[in-house]
Parts: sequence; structure tokens; C-alpha cells
Amino acid sequence: MPSLPIWEFDVLLLVLVVLFALISLSIRNLMGAAIVFGAYSFMMCLIWAGMGAVDVAFTEAAVGAGVSTVFIVSTIYNTSATMQNKPGGLTFKLFIGLVVTLTGAFLLSALPDFPEWGDSESPANAVVAPYYIKNTITDAHVPNVVTSVLADYRGFDTLLETTVVFIACIAIYSILRTETAKSKTDEPEEEIAVLPSYDPSDSLIVRQASRFMIPFMQLFALYVIAHGHYSPGGGFQGGVILGASLILLAISFDLKFLLGHWSEKSLMLLVASGVFLYAAVGLACVFMGGNYLDYVVLDPILPGKGDMARSHGILLVEIGVGITVMFSMVAIHINLASNGRFDRGL
Amino acid sequence: MENLIANFNYVIVVILMMIGLWAMLAQKNLIKKCIGMAIFQTGIILFFISIGAKNEAKVPILSKFVAENPPAIIVNDYANPLTQILMLTAIVVGVSTLGVGLAIVQKIYLEYGAIEENEILARIDSEDE
Repeated sequence: MPSLPIWEFDVLLLVLVVLFALISLSIRNLMGAAIVFGAYSFMMCLIWAGMGAVDVAFTEAAVGAGVSTVFIVSTIYNTSATMQNKPGGLTFKLFIGLVVTLTGAFLLSALPDFPEWGDSESPANAVVAPYYIKNTITDAHVPNVVTSVLADYRGFDTLLETTVVFIACIAIYSILRTETAKSKTDEPEEEIAVLPSYDPSDSLIVRQASRFMIPFMQLFALYVIAHGHYSPGGGFQGGVILGASLILLAISFDLKFLLGHWSEKSLMLLVASGVFLYAAVGLACVFMGGNYLDYVVLDPILPGKGDMARSHGILLVEIGVGITVMFSMVAIHINLASNGRFDRGL
Repeated sequence: MENLIANFNYVIVVILMMIGLWAMLAQKNLIKKCIGMAIFQTGIILFFISIGAKNEAKVPILSKFVAENPPAIIVNDYANPLTQILMLTAIVVGVSTLGVGLAIVQKIYLEYGAIEENEILARIDSEDE
């Protein structure tokens, strides 16, 4: 056997990931499928961290394993938890199998053309990326190259990705929060049928444990946003952790408890205000006589001496990203958990 | 065969993407379809991260010593940051689109009372008659 170019542990993880994907798709209990999918995300996270992509692994740990599992579970709660296994016709199965095999064969046939794994001279690694690594300190004083590329060199990308999160939030509102959902009131007989025999929201242990955990989660999330220049983290990760802390509050107490503190209107305004803050920083650069999102010109109005303006500009837009991501995660969860009714739910 | 082992990551990427594609086409349950979409997406993210990985490379965060002496930066000591930031934003956008997909699933359940493709089609047919 030839020596592997990748770490042996990675081989094991990669095989496990494929297994977990197959298991999560073949389990008939949908709740089990959601949990296995969460485990799949954690495995993915380990693989990415092993390849040096700590920021990506961090995001996946917060998003893939945490928030998206909650989203899937809320959807199962509002639909039906089991699935019937009525296999399709044989011709249908053969046709799908043929399509998938052919597509896979096409993709595999391109494999020999790829640069070898870990090749530092491959086109993706040798052309533009070295510029970022070499100049991040002299340009922006940010040791975490990922953060400086995210918010400074490629600020437009991130602005539009944040806008996509905002648009997705609006889309979910327009799908679920309709006039009928708004006017629908609680039907007592339905509620009795829906409630499980054991109601976790009554559990003292869950409530007290989350009451204890949530402040620390939020403090950690603020640290992640503010310290993103020097360590893995930034607006996306911190925003998702902040959102997750509020989702934990909604699950362990009650959706009404959360909605008592954050009204629907203020949630939507905050989602928009994050994107607005990002765009406003860009516009401020234009008014100060520079290009859009060119933080250097903000130097006179930002604290710190010399060329720290780009570092501070990055912090400002990361805060904007954090606000949008946090409140859109909360708003998406409330919509999915209560089926757009905003009264009760998971 | 040697090529397959040398490019093991890419083989897994193709397998994951095909699992996702198969789930989106063949699974009758709409939630399973959404999970398939998410698996397809993680396959693509794994592809980008594998492209950006370098042998013997570290996390792309500069140490204090190097940060104080910019000429001492050796580019090949650090993994490619560019592919990482592209995928970082893709993950967060991915969870938002997953949310949109699940919202559509809930809406379908409200309309037709089922999340299995066969049942939904049967309800639509019975409504037409």
C-alpha cells in the first residue's frame, strides 16, 4: 500500500462521514435521521479542522450541528415524525440509479486532472492566496488571514452573503407568516392531541441549566465576534452562537417567553439593521472620499493611531454581520417552530 | 488505484455529492430531500477545503513573532485562506436556504396534510376530480 498523502485519521473520518450520510438517509424515524445528520456535521467539522480550516469548522459546529438540527426537528414537530416506506417502481429506481451513477462517473473521470492533495503549487494555492497571507499584516494589522479576507479584501462578497441571509429570512416570513397564520388562534382540543406525555418545557433541570448556561454562551459569542481578528471566529460564528442562545431559551422555557422579550417587529428591524450597518460603513467610506468599503479613509473618525482604520472597519462590519445572523436565526426558528403563528411551538 | 488513494478526499466528495443527489431524486419524504440537499452542499464545501489544504501547513492565523516581522512570512506554512472564507459564508447561507426549504415543507403540510410525495400527488389528483 502506498503511503497516504493525507493524515490516516482523516481516512477513517472520511469513511465515517459517508456511513453517517447513508444512515441518516436510510433511517425511517425522521427524528433519528435529524440527530444522525447532526453527528455527520460534527464529523465534517473534525475533517475541516484537520485540514487547517478552523474558521470553517467553527461555523459548521455552530450551524450544521446546532442550529440546522433544531430547524429540522421543529419541522418534524409541525409535520409528522414517521415516514411510510413505500418503495417506488423498479423502473424509477433503475432510472435514478443510472442518472446518479453516470453523473458520478463523469465527476470521477475528471479526477486525474486534479492537482494532488496538499500541493502548494496548485493554481488555487499559488496565484492570489499568497498575496493575502503576505500582506494582511502590513495592510490591515489582522493576524487571522481569514477575517481580513472576509471583511476587507473581499468585503463585497460578505456584504452580499449577509444580504442573502436577510432575504432568506424575508422569504420564510412570506411563506409561513400569512394572514391565516396570524389570525389562527389556539384550538384547545388540538393542543391536547399535540402535547407529548412528557413535556420537557416543565423540566426544572432543563430550565435551571439553560438559565445558567445562556449568559456564558452570550459572553463567549461576544468574545468570538470581538476577538475574530486574532483567533478563529468572527461575525458569522458569534452571531450564530448568540442566536443559538436565544433558541435555547425558546426551547427550554417557552416560545411565548422569548416573544415577550423580543417582539416580531423589533426582530425584523434588527435583522435589517445588521445589513444596514454593513452597507452604511461602506457608504461612509464613499462620503469620506474613498471607494465603497475602503476603510482606510475612515482613519480620521475612528480611534487608534496610524493605519489601524482597516482593522477597526473590519470590526464594525463584523458586528453588522453578527446582528443580522443572530436575529435571522432567531426569526427563522420562531417561524419554523410555531408554523408562522408566533404563539406556541417546539 | 494509486491515483484513487492519492485523491481520496476528492473520491469522498464525489460519493457524498452523489448520495445527496440520489436522496433529492429518489427519497419520497420531503424532509429527507432537504437533508440530501444539505449533504450535497457539505460535499461541495469539503471539495473547496481539500483544494485549499497544503501538506505540512498550519491554520491561517499568523503567530505573534511572524506578525511583528512581516518579511518572515512563509506562504506555504499556512493553508489557503481564500477557499476557507468562500465556504464559511456558504455554510451560513446554506442553513438559511435549508430554513427556506423546511418552511416550504411546512406550508405543503398545511395545504395537503402530508410530506410524502406519493400522498401529496394523490391529494392533488383527488382535488382535481
